[in-house]
Amino acid sequence: MPREPNAVDFWRGFALITIFIDHIPGLIYAHYTLANFSISDAADLFVFLAGWSLRLMAEGGGRIMPTRNVMLRLGGRSLEIYAAQVLITMLALGMLAASAIGLSNPLLLQWHNAAAVFNDPVPAHIGLVVLTHQLGYFDILPLYVVLMLMAPLFALIDRVAPQWLLPLSLGFYVIVLAFRLTLPTWPVPGTWYFNPLAWQAVFVLGFVLAKSDAGPGAFARRHIASIRCVGVPILILALLVRRFDWWPDPTKVPDPKLFFIADKTFVSPMRLIQFLALVAVFSIAFFYIRKAADVAVLRRPVLALIGLFAMLGRNSLHVFCIGSLLSLSAQIARFYYRGTVWIDTAVVVFGIVVMAFTAWLTEARQRFTPPVPAR
Amino acid sequence: MAYRSTTTFHAAGAGALIAVSIALTFDARAQTSAPQTAPATAPFSKDCQVGATQIADESPLPNVASVLAKRKTMRILTMGASPAPSGRHGGYSDLIESILERALKGIDVVMINRGFSGELAADAAFRMKNEVALVEPDLVLWQVGTNDALAYVPADQFAATLKEQIDWLKAHKVDVVLVGLQFASQMLRDAHYTEIRDTLRKVAAQENVIVVRYYEAMQFVEQAAREGGVSAEEFDLTESGSNCLAQYVARAITLGVFAKNLPRRGQR
Repeated sequence: MPREPNAVDFWRGFALITIFIDHIPGLIYAHYTLANFSISDAADLFVFLAGWSLRLMAEGGGRIMPTRNVMLRLGGRSLEIYAAQVLITMLALGMLAASAIGLSNPLLLQWHNAAAVFNDPVPAHIGLVVLTHQLGYFDILPLYVVLMLMAPLFALIDRVAPQWLLPLSLGFYVIVLAFRLTLPTWPVPGTWYFNPLAWQAVFVLGFVLAKSDAGPGAFARRHIASIRCVGVPILILALLVRRFDWWPDPTKVPDPKLFFIADKTFVSPMRLIQFLALVAVFSIAFFYIRKAADVAVLRRPVLALIGLFAMLGRNSLHVFCIGSLLSLSAQIARFYYRGTVWIDTAVVVFGIVVMAFTAWLTEARQRFTPPVPAR
Repeated sequence: MAYRSTTTFHAAGAGALIAVSIALTFDARAQTSAPQTAPATAPFSKDCQVGATQIADESPLPNVASVLAKRKTMRILTMGASPAPSGRHGGYSDLIESILERALKGIDVVMINRGFSGELAADAAFRMKNEVALVEPDLVLWQVGTNDALAYVPADQFAATLKEQIDWLKAHKVDVVLVGLQFASQMLRDAHYTEIRDTLRKVAAQENVIVVRYYEAMQFVEQAAREGGVSAEEFDLTESGSNCLAQYVARAITLGVFAKNLPRRGQR
């Protein structure tokens, strides 16, 4: 039986739907997602919750797991995510190629960094395999792969010297920002859109804050009311900055500039602090959403919403992969049918239905798998 | 595939050919301390010659010219979707770098690639401000419009984004060369694609910045290939386009550097 809906699965489902919508440029509904009201967006939430889930994996669901088993488990997970990235990239390339042929339009071969694969396949395929060549909007899973490769180290430090994990992570983050360390792309020269060296801080924060009985996680829970009091004005200020374009001129801020600007690639402090404020303030929201189900007239829709989001969140890797391909399909559909509000509505509804079906199917397969008979 | 090989072969010599011609232009102009007119048209490699007519408006790059008078480095930030690397001759930005370095003797050209494919102009504009602050370029090379056209971004919204960004770059003493929309003959019938292309050209003219008309250039190249009896497979033209585009861009930049006294386009 799948686990009962909880806040982590719920918010992960929310992040998956938001990423699906955000990854359809020009979509009318993309004007109403989190990114339009906040400095951080669903990508931050997705990575943070990945770190949170790492805690559950590393601790083996309450069982004491030998360190070696934890390492193998986390390494296996990174391989699984890597395989998923390679698979969806190849499917995306196939979709672009089929669309280019079907619509007799070679422009589609140039879309989303695919041109390198079609024009110069030898180095591009090496790049795809080693993740230095990423298709546009297919760049979150490569980040996740690298983070999961780092995960055994995080879990090991957490076992040996838990008090050092967050300072080490944040210390490295500061060095990365100060010296602008990043990973290069190849064969198309450039840098990773999501710099894993910086984004590891979000991942580790999720991992550390998930621990409720000690360390920063316990501290945050003890002082959550005060943290929310600080968080609310930060969120209001971020909302004003976003809506009224009150961004500081990045050329006018002091060096090292990454500490003072809003940068997604390096998940700069302005973004990170606003995201943490968002987490603190909205950590209470799931409780009230569930409470809304006590109102008779709201009961069915609220429970349906919670059930849907939690189901998506429980099966996040499968849903994320399908969501990425659906975003690309939606872009092709919008291109072919010329984006209108009706097409936009149709692709969003269709996308969410297919994502829900994917999650349902994943759980159904597990339910229908007969138990292995004891020998 | 035969056409692709031919394209690559010609591209190999293109850098040398265009570099020599631009370098000659540069030497000639260097001897006259105050250039008053644009340099003579530089020839392109064979594949790209037909598209060489009216592919870029000549506009000055005053900040680059001023920087080059003081130091021997030109930093170019590329934004937007870069064309793919093409065979053993390296990528689009490698080709631009080598052509410019051969044309501008003694100048070290540094290309900084921060383009992300699929990004709309508004998103690229936001990111560009950060990148300008971080890498301090003298010139931004911005390939823009294709994604907005394909995503059906309204033309007035696109124009506002473009104008605001060009004004911001000017205020921060960074020159900009715009690279227009990509070409596919199917898009000739697409009213929105045409509208975005025209909007880009209009804003560039109003702002007096260079726009390399990639679309028209590749249209000419395709036409020439057909007329010349070569199978004009558009799928192959994407690679040919990448090479030609690098040549057009390098030429536009070189002309812009030495065109500081050109009158504004509207005054001609």
